[in-house]
This record gives sequence, structure tokens and C-alpha cells, in this order.
Amino acid sequence: MKSFRNVRWICAALLCAIFLAGIFAGGITHYSYATQFRERPNAAPSVSHLLGTDGLGRDLFARVLYGTRVSLLLAPAAALLSTFIAGFFGALAGLAGGWCEKCILAAADLGMALPLLFVLMALRAVLPLDVDPMLSLVATFTLLGLLGWASSLRVVWAATQSLRNSDFVLLARATGCPPSRILLRHVLPNLRPVLFAQFWISIPVYVLAEATLSMLGLGVTEPLPSWGNLLRGLEDFSLVAANPWRIFPLLLLILAVTSFQLILPSQEEIA
Amino acid sequence: MPSPIFSYYTHFLAGAVHGDFGNSQWLQRPISELIRERFAVTLRSVLLGTLLAWVAALAVAVAATYRPNPAVEISSTLLSGLLITLPAAVVAMFAVYARAPVFLALSVVIFPKLFRYLRNLLAHANAQPHVLAAHAQGIGTARILSHHLFPCVYPSLVALLAISLSLGFGAAIPIEALCDSPGVGQLAWQAALNRDMPLVTALTLLVTLITVSANSLGHFARWGKT
Repeated sequence: MKSFRNVRWICAALLCAIFLAGIFAGGITHYSYATQFRERPNAAPSVSHLLGTDGLGRDLFARVLYGTRVSLLLAPAAALLSTFIAGFFGALAGLAGGWCEKCILAAADLGMALPLLFVLMALRAVLPLDVDPMLSLVATFTLLGLLGWASSLRVVWAATQSLRNSDFVLLARATGCPPSRILLRHVLPNLRPVLFAQFWISIPVYVLAEATLSMLGLGVTEPLPSWGNLLRGLEDFSLVAANPWRIFPLLLLILAVTSFQLILPSQEEIA
Repeated sequence: MPSPIFSYYTHFLAGAVHGDFGNSQWLQRPISELIRERFAVTLRSVLLGTLLAWVAALAVAVAATYRPNPAVEISSTLLSGLLITLPAAVVAMFAVYARAPVFLALSVVIFPKLFRYLRNLLAHANAQPHVLAAHAQGIGTARILSHHLFPCVYPSLVALLAISLSLGFGAAIPIEALCDSPGVGQLAWQAALNRDMPLVTALTLLVTLITVSANSLGHFARWGKT
């Protein structure tokens, strides 16, 4: 148990380091993610380019740092959005019961039945492909946040149901407390551990979904870097074999996702 | 007066009920014809991939539950932990490098999630009083599995099968797109790139119907048990 706690601390420290590197990317590297050194395409790592350059001569280290900022700041933002939706409607369904509960749960069932990637592609297809990179970034993560709430809602609803008949909620009802106040002051604060767990679970899911979408050319568009579009550099095996340091973004992604999963609280801790 | 989007979807759904999804804007061909051509490829890959993932996950989960061995425990946890961190598109890329078939890549995507559920499910079922009693009576592992354990977990297994099929169809998009496999996953990706909304909508509807049918199977299994 103690060794697992140590692993958690190490993972937390690693994630903090990766987050800080992303946030202070501008201070760590003096290159921009878009600056091209056309005389040095596919350069090997050196003092001036720590991870070498890509096919367009852009500094890979700078792109990884700025890509980390994009992926690790916006995936939690999307997770926050989906957890907020799941928290509010899950608690409402659990508390209200009746037709309101039936409608919300039916919507959640429909949301869970729709394969996320298909729906993301369908909605992303509505936007033109040559959109502004910043718009593609916001659209990708907003869609992730708006579509990923269904499974979290089921968990929140189940937790709310167990709270609905608890002594303090019954007492609040008996004293004439309005439903909105019961929801905001009594139920939601007690759902904090569940909501936090759902938020934390969603982050690596969104990081991976963004990576897949961007690798398919439907996520964050160039020249803006994200972990997903940095992985597109791995498509050419001969290039990766000749420049093995190109695999660094994938290693960073694996490290971050593993850290997120190992930090997750256990069921007993959530309870 | 109904809005154009409402009338579009009303017409679309009325046609879909009769198997007519309209024409693809990009390929200028009937969508039902495109689906007929490609669906078998995806279905075969998804079924084979799901089967392989189930065989592997079940074998490792049973071994980890009934033959507790640190080597099996650590290697299975590490393997599933590593595979779960890989985006489906990266798995597809490795499949291209290794010239591996599409179903193998799909099974690699499905395996880690399946293994974790199965491992927890079997560990929980193995701690049930009737299973402990069977162990205490010296009944063999094979008989415990077939007569005591699987009958009590089979509704969950059917539900898990539905989830793994859904996972398979979801992962088919990046894997077929990157492995150049002519299935509905690749078609959906090309339709999205070409902004062919009728085709993307029809494919999403098709996959949703498959997922809902598979989930209903899980519900029926649970209902039959109770």
C-alpha cells in the first residue's frame, strides 16, 4: 500500500513537471512552434535542437512543449465541461425522479450507444477542414466535452440515488427546503469525490481521443501542435527508423496517460 | 413551416426505414450500395478482433485468478496498462509497420479494457460463498468455472460482449483508415474528410443500431437471469 502511494507521488510529480513544461514552454525554448529552419529538415538532435527538427525544419522540442500545453490544458477543460454536464443533470435526474429522470437517462443511454469517434467525426465534418487552427482546437475539445458526459452521468445518477434517501436530504425536505437548494447545497457537495473521479477519468480519455482525431486529420490542425498531430510524424516507418528520437511525443503521451491512470483514486477511496 | 434540417432528417429516417439512405454527395452513389460493399469487411475484422481479444483476455484473467503467480500478475497488468495508453491510431500505425492484419490491431485495442473488466469480474465472482464452498470441497478448477462461476457471471459477460463489439466498431475508423482496409470505418473517415454528411449520418446510424442491438442483447441476458 505504501509502495503504491509512492508510485502515486512519483506520477503526480511527473504530471506536474509535464504541466509546468507546457505552461512555461516560452521560457524553456526560444523557438516558436511554427518557425521553420528550411536548411535543416529532419535534423538530428543537437545543442540548438534538442530533439532535432521535423520534415519542415521546425524544432521538435518546441513543438512537443507547445503541444503539451495544448493537450494538457484543453483536455482538463473538456473534462470539466463534461463533468459539469454530468454532475448537474445526473444529480437532477437522481433527485427529481419521474419523467425528468426518465428523459435524462434516455438521453444518457442514447449518448452511450453512439460511438464517440463516429459522432465526433460527423460533427467535425460539419466544419470546413481548412478552418483556422485555433478554431479547430476549440471545436475539437468543445465537442469532446459536449459528447463525453453520458457514462459519467450514469455514475453521478447512481450516487445521487443513494443520497436521495439519506437522513440529511430527508431532513432538508421536511424543513421545506426548495429542491434547487437541496441540489446545490446538500447533494452536489456530497458528490464531490464522485465528480472528481469522473473528471480525472475523462482527462486521459480526451487526450487519447484528440490524438486519434488529429492523427486522422480531423482534430487540431497545423501549424498548431498537439500530441495528436505530433504523432502524425510517426506514419512513415523508414523516417522513424532513421530518426528514432521522433518517437518522443509518443513516449510522453504514454507517460502522461499512465500517470493519470495510476493517480486515480480507488473505489474505496471514492466511497 | 418545418425547418430544413427537420425535414431533411424526417425524409432521411423515412427512407432509412426502407433501406434507402439516399445518395453519397462525394461518391455520387447510393449509400446502401456503399454500405453493402464494405460492411462485410468491417464485420469480419470486428468479429475476429473481438474473438481474439476475448480468448486472450479470458485466458489471462482466468490464469491470474486461479493460478496466482507474480510473473503472470505483473506482466498482464503491465501489458494491459501499456496497451490502454495507446491511441487506436497509434496501434493502427504499428500494425502498418508490422504488416499485421486489421483484426489483430482491433484485438489489441479491445484487449486491455476487456481484460481489466474480466479480471475484476472473475475476482469478485471467485470470492462468492458458493464458489468458496466448491473450492473447499476440492472440486476442480474447470468444473468450478463451468458449473459455478460462469453461470453466475454470464449476464455480465454478455453485456461485456456488447461493449467490446461497440469498442471494435469505434476503433475500426482509425485502424481501417490507417491500414487502408476497405471497410465502413475507412468509408466514414473519407466521408468526414469530404464533408459528405448523408454518408456520415447513415454510417453513424448504422453503427448506433448495431451498438443498441448488442446492448439490448446484454439487457435480455440480464433479464433472463432474473
